Amino acid sequence: MTLRALLDATRDRLLGPRPAHAAVAALVVLFLFFVLIWPLLNVLATGFMTNDGSFTGDYLRLVTSDPVLVRGLLKATTIALATTSVALLLALPLAVILARYEFPGRALFSSLLLVPMVLPPFVGAIGMRLLLARFGPITQILGDPEGLGVDWLGSLRAVGVVAIEALALYPIILLNLQAALANIDPMMERAAANLGATRWTVFWRVTFPLVRPGLFAGCTLVMIWSFTELGTPLMFHVYDVTPVQVFTQITEVDNPLPYALVVVMLACSSLLYVVGKLLFGRTTHVQAGKSASQSAPRRLSGLRGWLAGLPFVMVLALALLPNLSVVLTSLSATGAWYRSLVPREFTSRHYWSALNDQLVMPSMEQGAVQLGAVGNSIVYAGVATLIGVVVALATALIIVRSRVPWRGVVDILSMLPLAVPGLVMAFGYLSLSVQIKRALGPATPFWLDVQQFPVVLLVLAYAARRLPYVVRSAAAGLEQVPQDYERAAANLGASTGRVLRRITLPLIWASVLAGALMAFVFAMLEVSDSLILAQSAEFFPITRAIWELSQRLGDGLYVASALGVWAMVLLTLTLALASLLLGRKLGAMFRV
Amino acid sequence: MLRVYVCLAAFIGVLCLPFAVRFWLGNAGAGDPVERSTDGALTLRIITPHNQDIRRVFEPAFSDWHRKRFGQAVDITYMSPGGTNEIVRYLTDVYGSYRDSSGRLLPEHQVDSGIEIVWGGGDYVFDRVFKPLLKPLTLSRELLDAAFPRTDLAGVPLLDIEPGAASPKWVGIVLSSFGIIHAPEFYEVLGLPAPESWHDLARPELSGLLALADPTKSGSAAFIYMMVLQRAMASAEQVWLLDNPGLASTAAVDLEQLPAYRQALGAGWKSGMRTLLLMAANARYFTDSGSRPCADVGDAESAAGVAIDFYARVFQEQIGKERITYLAPRGATAVTPDPIGVLYGTRGEREVLANRFVEFLLSPEAQRLWNVQGGASPYVARSLRRMPVRRDVYADRSGWADDDNPFEAAAGFNMRQAWMRQLGRLIPIWAASWIDTKPSLDRAYNAILRVADRERRETLLFELSDLPVHLEDVTTNGAPAPEAHERVDPRLRAARERMRWAARFRGHYAELLARAEDSG
Repeated sequence: MTLRALLDATRDRLLGPRPAHAAVAALVVLFLFFVLIWPLLNVLATGFMTNDGSFTGDYLRLVTSDPVLVRGLLKATTIALATTSVALLLALPLAVILARYEFPGRALFSSLLLVPMVLPPFVGAIGMRLLLARFGPITQILGDPEGLGVDWLGSLRAVGVVAIEALALYPIILLNLQAALANIDPMMERAAANLGATRWTVFWRVTFPLVRPGLFAGCTLVMIWSFTELGTPLMFHVYDVTPVQVFTQITEVDNPLPYALVVVMLACSSLLYVVGKLLFGRTTHVQAGKSASQSAPRRLSGLRGWLAGLPFVMVLALALLPNLSVVLTSLSATGAWYRSLVPREFTSRHYWSALNDQLVMPSMEQGAVQLGAVGNSIVYAGVATLIGVVVALATALIIVRSRVPWRGVVDILSMLPLAVPGLVMAFGYLSLSVQIKRALGPATPFWLDVQQFPVVLLVLAYAARRLPYVVRSAAAGLEQVPQDYERAAANLGASTGRVLRRITLPLIWASVLAGALMAFVFAMLEVSDSLILAQSAEFFPITRAIWELSQRLGDGLYVASALGVWAMVLLTLTLALASLLLGRKLGAMFRV
Repeated sequence: MLRVYVCLAAFIGVLCLPFAVRFWLGNAGAGDPVERSTDGALTLRIITPHNQDIRRVFEPAFSDWHRKRFGQAVDITYMSPGGTNEIVRYLTDVYGSYRDSSGRLLPEHQVDSGIEIVWGGGDYVFDRVFKPLLKPLTLSRELLDAAFPRTDLAGVPLLDIEPGAASPKWVGIVLSSFGIIHAPEFYEVLGLPAPESWHDLARPELSGLLALADPTKSGSAAFIYMMVLQRAMASAEQVWLLDNPGLASTAAVDLEQLPAYRQALGAGWKSGMRTLLLMAANARYFTDSGSRPCADVGDAESAAGVAIDFYARVFQEQIGKERITYLAPRGATAVTPDPIGVLYGTRGEREVLANRFVEFLLSPEAQRLWNVQGGASPYVARSLRRMPVRRDVYADRSGWADDDNPFEAAAGFNMRQAWMRQLGRLIPIWAASWIDTKPSLDRAYNAILRVADRERRETLLFELSDLPVHLEDVTTNGAPAPEAHERVDPRLRAARERMRWAARFRGHYAELLARAEDSG
């Protein structure tokens, strides 16, 4: 082989046939490195380095030897396992019924089941505080023989956290299971049945192994989410779980202990992932590829049809409780939802309080418009979504259309935020800012100093955290568009940019828009980054403002609920819009 | 496709709704009671933990006062990074970058924090943290004499004047007292009389029903616990002085040299710590904010708790007196000032304006705004329910929301600054014995409460509350010694010390648990 041929072969292996694609891929990897890998490395570094830059295991040793912190880890793990189990118990029968049977109200139930996702768990927790109060409606229903009520929010508050999280997160397992069940080739189950297997044997030996990857995907996402969830335990005053312990330890920005604790948390998340993978995610002997045929759902009529709807009604009744309670709390006069099933007095005052709140709403200060938390969130989430869309489009094009040899790395990197807890990422950015400040001293640009101006890092954190949604939906759109259109345009002399602008983008805009909408709204409702990075009131995003309001004495919880209702309506419309644009592919965005 | 567009329009509509309504209501803030022009207004930047109600009252009131006197309105920019702890962190960070290599602040002309005033947070924080970051106020002697005919209230300074200095570094603006809150309905169900003293919160019937805040997170909570402790110490001192009448007029510094006095004081300290431990054992959990116990008691989640007076009053106003009652234990509550100061680096016109703000706050008209009923002043939509620091304004309390006079309530007992120095050492001990080891404490406490024999139960309760810690541990460094292999890392010292205390207390609770279980 000549040297030229060798160089060509090496170039092909590294860059693929189109070096321009490789250049774009390199830019994407560079971006992902700066917004994902570097912050993560910084967390590790801060957790293992002394002030003078030398390595130390002291911080890690301390956090793993402190019984209080170890108890926090155990409790967070217990809550995560319990949440996942309850969510699975709720989702599994529903997914099977939805996949296998046609019954009255199936389409309606199918869309209503996603409604819990329109409420971030921590906002749901605000509403549930009054519902679960010692003398609240639940106690009224259950009866109160001793006159002291049931202390749901005291001795039983960890149970409340599990309930809220499971009811908010079960749709993720449901969506993944539904997709997995839909992909099963019915011929396999029929073959097993023909060979004499009972229904249970068919399910256990054929169906379950085939849906296991989907089950693993959903359960892992829920488990990691609930293990690292900060907002819900904070709202329920469960302070002895790791995420809250991390949050409350940020007394000074260069305190290494919370970072060391975050390292432990990351290790535990990874362990949960590996254990889940071993239990559920093993590859099956039969490839669970897209099935060539799909079984038509069996029609259930009459009483059996109605009975099939019963589990949905029950789960929905439970799952919509947080939403309902947030609405009722926002409309209840302060202190009027007490010893009664519903508030004794209704008012719209809390909405007006929210609208008049300088922390939350836009206002004029010194002749300039102050955006308030709502305005801040819209700007942060808007810019983050724009960044996300550009990066996600480039990423999707590399993954789906290019032949860059290492496009798999781009794919994995872009999905990484789904596996890395939000709290860990937030600490990554915080640590990044501290490191830069330490290195540059007074010359640190103000926009890299998270204490002075957290906006840049907040926007990047939002963009990175929600990137997978946009990548997934853009990639799904691209996969559906035959490449022949683009080839035809290129053959007619159109440049790459023109093909992208005139052919590709118009064909996938619906998918990109749906992904962008999801990214926008989840960025608006992001909790961990907002609580950790936004430390000054003028930069508060809406979630941080909701948290601050909920702490306010008297009407705080009610005003926070009013804001929660606004967020809920916004998210409902987004999900509806994304659902209209993406149809059944919506679930793909929540798969690991 | 139509459905998509309808949905998209609704999405954009909901997104823009808050802006539209806000600007429709009037962008100066519909809540502002007074219309005012901000053309050519001066700017004043204040960092404060005070809530929006307070900020909304004093911004327009000061602006109008200033315009009347000096012809210009003032815009106040409030900076609020969170509560007092966050402000401490923020100012420490900001001024940290204006220090030379030896840690001293740079000459004033090189310092500009961008903030003129720090307002609120309590006198303890001002004395311990903010004072080095403040510059002397330039208030007139007439104003100081009128506002503070006496510079202390039952021994607690109402303003900070160094000996020989002409001007104070900080002045108190408003007073706070601390007391017990309880839910009358809950007490009725429990069949208990309303609590009247701190010790009433230590009774076993309140197990799991007390609302307390974490002293590491809430400065006001730490202050209240310190008050319980100081009350017990003051009582012990009183008894000792009655037994030793010849020493009644001896200076405190000299008394502390006497072993018998120190022993008596140590016994009082132990008694206070015992009350506090039993209160901690009764705690439902430790909240992260000083105002949370009010909400927990008001919502009848907890039967009783401790709180600052105005937290309780504000909550009372919103949900009614029948749901939450506030009581300042007679002769056992402290009244302390909530100060204001001008930050180092504030110069020229900014300094003049900052001092005018302080002057305004000390004027009788501004002082009355702290307690007038909602609607009684154009600036006050909802009463702030706080107690002014000027003694003379209490002479006419017409239109006020509360009839209390803190100058009468404080008589007899108040906090000693010398004893306050223990607080830094006490907080990790409290955290270790009450919060870090709460599960062990609860197990031991509940096991003891199950002991059938009353006398045995009382003995075990006494022993449980008798923690292995003494007054000397907080006046000298009495922290458990570090292990030989532990390297010195200043960033870990506090965490390790707290862990060692926790280990010691966990052992104590385990021993008591075993003994209670042995007692059946």
